[in-house]
Amino acid sequence: MAATSSHSVDLSQAMNVDPTPLADWLVVMPVVWCLLAGAILLMLRKRTELQASIGIVALVGLCLLDAALLWRVLEEGPFTMVMGRWLPPFGIAFTVDLLGAFFTMTSGLVALAAGIFGRDDVDSTGRRYGFYPFLLLLMAGVSGAFLTGDVFNLYVWFEVLLISSFGLLVLGSEREQIDGATKYAFLNLVGTTLFLVATGYLYGLFGTLNMADILIKAPELRQTAPLMTLVCLYLLAFAMKAAAFPVNFWLPASYHTPKLVVSGLFGGLLTKIGIYALLRVLVMLFPIERAELGWVIAVLAAGTMLLGVLGALAQNDTRRAVGFLVISGIGMMLAGIALGSPSGLAGAILYAAHSMVVMTAIYFAAGIGGRVSGSFLLSRSGGIYPSHLVLAFATLALFLSMAGLPPFSGLWPKVMLVKAALDVGEWWLAGAILVTGFLTTITVGRIWALAYWKPRAADAEPLDPASQKVPMTSVIGLGMLTVLTVVFGLWPEPLIAISQDAARGLIDTSSFVLSVFPGEVPQ
Amino acid sequence: MEALFSVLVGALFAVSIYLFLSKHIIRVLMGVAILGNAVNLLIFTNGRLLREVPPVIAADEYTLQQAAANPLPQALILTAIVISFSFFAFLLVLGYRAFQELETDDTDEMRVAEPADEEAPPLGY
Amino acid sequence: MAALDGMTIIALGLPFIAALVAPALVRRLGHNAAWVLALFPFFVFVRFLEFLPEVSAGSAITGGFQWVPSYNVSFSWFIDGLSLIFALLISGIGTLIVFYTGGYLKGHAQLGRFYSFIFLFMGAMLGLVISDSFLMLFVYWELTSITSFLLIGFDHGREASRRSALQALVVTGLGGLSLMAGLLVVWNITGVTQLSLLVNLGDEVRASPFYLMALILLLGGAFTKSAQFPFHFWLPNAMEAPTPVSAYLHSATMVKAGVYLVMRMNPAFGDTVAWETILPVFGGTTLIVGSLLAIRQTDLKLMLAYTTVSSLGLMVMMTGFGSEHAAAAGVLYLIAHSMFKGAFFMLAGNIDHEAGTRDITKLGGLRKLMPISFLAAMAAAFSMGGLPPFFGFLSKEEIYYGLWHADPWSIFMTVVAIVGNGLMFVVGFAIAIKPFLGREVKTPKHAHEAPLLMWIGPATLATGGLLAAVFSPIFHQYVSSPMVSAVSGEAEEVTISLVPHIGMPLLLSLVTIVFAVLVYLKVDSARSAIAATLTAIGWGPDKGFDQFVSGMVRLSRRVTKIAQPGQLDIYMTVTFAAVAVTLLAPMIIFDELPAMPAWPADAEIHELAVILIAFIGLGAVIAAKDRLTAIVSLGIQGFAVALIFMLFGAPDLSFTQFMVETLSVVILALVMTRLRLTLSDHRPTGQKIGDATVAIACGAGFMLYLLAVTEVPFRSYLSDFFIAYSKVIAHGANVVNVIIVDFRGTDTLGEIAVVMVTGLAILSLIRVRPGWKPGMLAENDPDAPTEEKK
Repeated sequence: MAATSSHSVDLSQAMNVDPTPLADWLVVMPVVWCLLAGAILLMLRKRTELQASIGIVALVGLCLLDAALLWRVLEEGPFTMVMGRWLPPFGIAFTVDLLGAFFTMTSGLVALAAGIFGRDDVDSTGRRYGFYPFLLLLMAGVSGAFLTGDVFNLYVWFEVLLISSFGLLVLGSEREQIDGATKYAFLNLVGTTLFLVATGYLYGLFGTLNMADILIKAPELRQTAPLMTLVCLYLLAFAMKAAAFPVNFWLPASYHTPKLVVSGLFGGLLTKIGIYALLRVLVMLFPIERAELGWVIAVLAAGTMLLGVLGALAQNDTRRAVGFLVISGIGMMLAGIALGSPSGLAGAILYAAHSMVVMTAIYFAAGIGGRVSGSFLLSRSGGIYPSHLVLAFATLALFLSMAGLPPFSGLWPKVMLVKAALDVGEWWLAGAILVTGFLTTITVGRIWALAYWKPRAADAEPLDPASQKVPMTSVIGLGMLTVLTVVFGLWPEPLIAISQDAARGLIDTSSFVLSVFPGEVPQ
Repeated sequence: MEALFSVLVGALFAVSIYLFLSKHIIRVLMGVAILGNAVNLLIFTNGRLLREVPPVIAADEYTLQQAAANPLPQALILTAIVISFSFFAFLLVLGYRAFQELETDDTDEMRVAEPADEEAPPLGY
Repeated sequence: MAALDGMTIIALGLPFIAALVAPALVRRLGHNAAWVLALFPFFVFVRFLEFLPEVSAGSAITGGFQWVPSYNVSFSWFIDGLSLIFALLISGIGTLIVFYTGGYLKGHAQLGRFYSFIFLFMGAMLGLVISDSFLMLFVYWELTSITSFLLIGFDHGREASRRSALQALVVTGLGGLSLMAGLLVVWNITGVTQLSLLVNLGDEVRASPFYLMALILLLGGAFTKSAQFPFHFWLPNAMEAPTPVSAYLHSATMVKAGVYLVMRMNPAFGDTVAWETILPVFGGTTLIVGSLLAIRQTDLKLMLAYTTVSSLGLMVMMTGFGSEHAAAAGVLYLIAHSMFKGAFFMLAGNIDHEAGTRDITKLGGLRKLMPISFLAAMAAAFSMGGLPPFFGFLSKEEIYYGLWHADPWSIFMTVVAIVGNGLMFVVGFAIAIKPFLGREVKTPKHAHEAPLLMWIGPATLATGGLLAAVFSPIFHQYVSSPMVSAVSGEAEEVTISLVPHIGMPLLLSLVTIVFAVLVYLKVDSARSAIAATLTAIGWGPDKGFDQFVSGMVRLSRRVTKIAQPGQLDIYMTVTFAAVAVTLLAPMIIFDELPAMPAWPADAEIHELAVILIAFIGLGAVIAAKDRLTAIVSLGIQGFAVALIFMLFGAPDLSFTQFMVETLSVVILALVMTRLRLTLSDHRPTGQKIGDATVAIACGAGFMLYLLAVTEVPFRSYLSDFFIAYSKVIAHGANVVNVIIVDFRGTDTLGEIAVVMVTGLAILSLIRVRPGWKPGMLAENDPDAPTEEKK
């Protein structure tokens, strides 16, 4: 253009002059892939017979990309790509560290399981009205949230996944769904708005939105600026996203209403995004303020886990009980965040990964169980154990995993969290975790005894023989997640190692910062 | 000027939240609309204020020659406006459908997902 | 850590392999699969037998591998006398149980599944006793609880089974958590994670300020598992399980896991006042309570179950008593008990299986019909009663050696032991004599001797009790002494033999027998007396369990009704109250309130006017009596905000705001005025005040914090950069637009995604109706989704 030709400008002051290495593109690939696949699926909306195949293939591709990403981070540590090659912090940076890569990978697997499970769980209307596009765009939001290194951009991905979740939630438009969705939507709107408000304040204080840049500026700004209120605001916003006590209402009000595959996906992924954001923003960006708030978070954690499990115990509907169990698990992760020590954070991270897999699987299992026994209500279902033995055992494995019993994956994060609490002398928090585990055992034991062991009532309506056959896709979707919880219960080493490294990366942020600003002297 | 804006932002929030606390979906929807304004103005104020001069570079210049309004908050707000309007539209339709399906606009009467008379779980084994 | 020993790993894995193959084998061979399946535990037994010479020579075998190196957890075993004897009991009795099951559940449709569970349990129990690392111990410990849950509930169609299974899971699960906490506390105190290392750190453990806490937590695990009073109630209920399970888990092995733990802890935790008080008190109480309750029963299995409770109490009491011989007595009794009680349970099963009832009052004269069972029962009763020439006699003598000292506490405990032993004597002989001797009673089934598979077990165990006593020197050398040494933490030698020593212990044995015979003669009146007492008390922990569970469910329902009331306005109120607290509390606590701002002197009149309009619009929205006014007022404040953007250098924003606001108002008016909605926003005064308080508090919070933030000097380097390079590199004059499409284009990408999804979501909301059928699509309004185009 004429303007630039006459005005000489040193590009290297503003941009990375070298082209972005191909390998660095990996960090945005999960998001780009999901957006593209989502858009294609949206265009092919009316070809309902193609939706599932394309969707599942796209999700397999997503998992492969996530695996490559995780592999690269394990090999080489965090890396960054700035969009449009602008220098950070001016362009939007995508920075992946072990935490982000680990969660992206886990969420990818969960989404794949949901994609497969959904093939038969979602009818052609559901497919026509966007199950697979919503799923892929939800994953774009989820992946974007895990990978972005910019706070406002994180907000944008939150909104992408939130609006996709609205779409999934109302799919089917049953009365129950509309009611649940109303509460879900309005309350979540408040939650994300708080996030946006906090980010506005953050910009007002820091003048920047890039996470690494915030890390560099924070020590100086901490002397003068009112950061505590900001951090409290973030805590509330993300606690709401994570459905922590006392702002957990939206979850039990809605999670049992949509199609089961959607409940499973939500139970696995959505609340964990809140936990991720807490880890990223509170733990990584504002560690000193987080430490100051440690006891507050600990109280919220204990309240969340106990209230969650009590809620579960009170339910007659298994799906609602599972919803409350999701909340209870959030309390566990909050406990790790409250402790803030490397071992506590590692416990929280491992719990989050475990919970993504197990909660999704439990919804799937409860869903199939409800279908084959004719009811989700404990008072009316029954007899699943004699009729569907494998399902019953898979469910038991998941239940025990949820309760933190061996030999399943739930044991390890629980041990790590209790140990971490004892290490710093927080006896009562350790006690709360153990009591929660105890009550969870009662809850899941009762559900299993009543819905699986107990025969159906003699006067119950005869079951439709067609409902007794469990589609292969349901078996695969549930099976792959159940296998994961068993395998990583028996062989937790890789996950524990990753969680510990990820936790260390949140505390010692130098490699994160260096990946964004290669010349920066680590703090 | 920031002080004056802060008061206005506070008022926007207060009114919006008061509407949010209503039992009627339509009031809550108005609350949503005002909440968007409140947040936008909040971000705007956070970027500090400067009068009248938009951050547009004159045709014969390479860069701004005088102090102009902070462009970044404006960009953020544009993104936020679109998103919040999308949400507003969705919520509006949702509220409309809720009225059709549940035959009420009183949130206290929307008890399909969480029925008030829910059956207790069996106490036996 | 010693090298990985493949054979031991295989031995540990074999039961799990057996669990996998059992259903297929049973499908092919029926109950004769027992003969093949028994090879699995038998191989394990032989494998452990090979360790006997080395262990009895005083060394311990260790091995294993790093399991979770990142968390310092190994999969490692530590086989000393204690572990080894337990392992031999588990695999040895396990072999017999496999035989027995084949006979007992012959033809049962789920025999294969039952075998799987039994083998799973066996694997778990084996792992438990040879675990060296804490976490491995805990994992196996919980596995035994889970398999026990599955086995107790095996007959899942009956509510009693399900209740008992759940009860066992809950009680032992509680203990498991206690154990886990205890192990973690010990880990924190000592820094070690292996039992073999802990044994040498006794002084450190005992000196720790957390000693008592660790002790109580660990005992919480041991006492629940080993059914110590007041956690004893789950064990008799566990008799809901098929008899092989009762014989194996709930008498010979699993319930001894707690005793195992206590014995394992003895070197590190023993020899303190707390240890020597808590253990005898709980053990002694359990002994007395268990044996009294046993007298009361008429069901053979329940009689045995309660004597198991009392035997476990006796073992705990002896382990904790603290004298030289007491620990040895505990060990000897444990071995004797595993044999005679295992045998007894299987015999009770035989009687039940053959005669069709196990109610002792309905049985008699089976001696001629079931001669082998009778002989085995008499042998078991002799051993249980502590009579020569059986191993029980040796253990009884050792118990009195251990207890008898000339101080009041010892005398008291001796009396407790005499009463407990005497009552168990009564029960043992009642079971051995009543069904077999006397007049033949007509039973529901015509009895004959049980098949080979079913008597091979009891006969072997009964013979074992005899041989162990007769060849006691050899038995002690290889079995008792190494085990006692492991329990006491130093080399000990057991010498007791069948040759009676005239002395106090023998005298006490005689006293026990005399007492027992007296009770036996009066057993019916004793039974009714105990029954009457229990009725008078009217409450027991078993009932308490039901009350606890239903109480928890009721409590949780009440709590949940409050915490999740189902009303959106309550949710909103709490949420915004939380917002208000979140904003105001930290500002006050951490002193982040802004300074009092000065009146903006530079504010121009038209600016003030616009801001005033916004305020008026806001006020009107609230004050509006009807919907349409409110919506119009909504527009007023929206346009005022748009004007403000215009005045402060943001024309793009202003246009967008105008558009959005117009659309919002129009759509809102169009959509909502079509519905017959409540006209005004009526709220009762109380609610008005509450809502207003919350709203104003939030608004004040946002305002104050905005003031505080804007007082901090602003850093504009981001925008400076954008302004500097917007035109020269990105070729855009409008910096805002350049930011949107280039500098922060990724945000816009996300934003487009949001709009796209919103469109589809609205479409599905409008088009899809509940109970949607394909033909309905055309009848619906093809309302286009509302989208904003930028």
